Amino acid sequence: MSVPGSELLVCPHCDALHRSVVLGKHETAVCIECGHTLARHRSFTVDQLLAVTVAAALCFLIGNAYPLMTIDLAGMHTEATVWSAALLLLHGWTTLPGVVLAVSMFLLPLLQIALLLWVLIFARMQRRAPGLRAALVALHRSRPWSMSEVFLLGALVAIVKLSSWLHVVPGIGLWALLSLTILLTILSLVESRFWWSLVEASA
Amino acid sequence: MSSPIRTLTVGLVACRACGLLSRRVPDTQPTYCSRCDTRLHERMPGSAEKTLAWLIAAVILYIPSNVLPVMYVSGIGGGQESTILGGILSFWRGGDWPIALVIFIASVAVPATKFLAIGLIVLTLFRESDWARRQRTALYRLVEFIGYWSMLDVVVVALTSALLQFEGIGAAEPRLGIVFFCGVVVATMISALSLDPRLIWDMGRNSEH
Repeated sequence: MSVPGSELLVCPHCDALHRSVVLGKHETAVCIECGHTLARHRSFTVDQLLAVTVAAALCFLIGNAYPLMTIDLAGMHTEATVWSAALLLLHGWTTLPGVVLAVSMFLLPLLQIALLLWVLIFARMQRRAPGLRAALVALHRSRPWSMSEVFLLGALVAIVKLSSWLHVVPGIGLWALLSLTILLTILSLVESRFWWSLVEASA
Repeated sequence: MSSPIRTLTVGLVACRACGLLSRRVPDTQPTYCSRCDTRLHERMPGSAEKTLAWLIAAVILYIPSNVLPVMYVSGIGGGQESTILGGILSFWRGGDWPIALVIFIASVAVPATKFLAIGLIVLTLFRESDWARRQRTALYRLVEFIGYWSMLDVVVVALTSALLQFEGIGAAEPRLGIVFFCGVVVATMISALSLDPRLIWDMGRNSEH
């Protein structure tokens, strides 16, 4: 059903048709109708993206294994991780925010990293990953709901808020979460055209 | 500069998931993208209606989310419930204005901007207006960009409650307001995701083509 050999690009925001052009360094393609940025010059290789994804996976592991912050008070000790914060809301009548927190700050970032590893490892072996199309659609669909950067800002606000009357110690988990946010942001810069070119390359 | 050609007028349809162009087939028979298997639609079905429905839900939930307390903090001198606005005010008065500003932007300014922006776009869609298309599309991009930042307060309440568990000295618990507030964020996100910005460019075009 697709149009063979089409070098056409559609603006997703206004449906205008454009002819694809090759972009030079620092160039961006902007829709003349609605102003949407259609494409940027990018030169990622599969190896580079795989390296970033592996680093993100490690940061995710560390960020969830070690506390984000701890408080020691009068011989008592408390600590918080992404999962313990979500778990606290999960039981009782705060199930809805608990589920939203667990899904958007833990499960979906995990799913995204796992899917990226799956897709990129096969791409590096120059093979088509089983379920590649489903994986790419899942990556596309889950993106708006994956929000570890919001958790990072929330953790910083909580630290500043509590440290006015308690001694809060930032943990290793917080640094891992910060690194994870940066790495996931880098990965989100990769345009969908790059991912879908993997389907065509191996078709 | 003349307007560029649009896909529908030349018998093509673009996939919402992967962007591949396919030949347009009557909507009566379901067709799927040959590259990613997503069901193809010329426009997202019922887009404006769904967007408006979720927006109304969000505005209704916004009232209890601001009236009801979101957190209960107990200390040596007894306990206190706080609302979102009350929390911002106490930070402001206490001199912690950067935190007050961050929470104000995420919890008040972002939802309010989304209500106004989505409301404006949907109303002009129902009126089939061709007014300020470019600016309304830019407004849609703003809504897309600020998307989920309102979840901030839910994170702060969850983390504070997880950390402050010192019975008799200091303890925090979530309160019902946070459930409604989370509902507001989810409803505005579904509302924004239901909106098909291409509809802005369809209006008032019948006379042109």
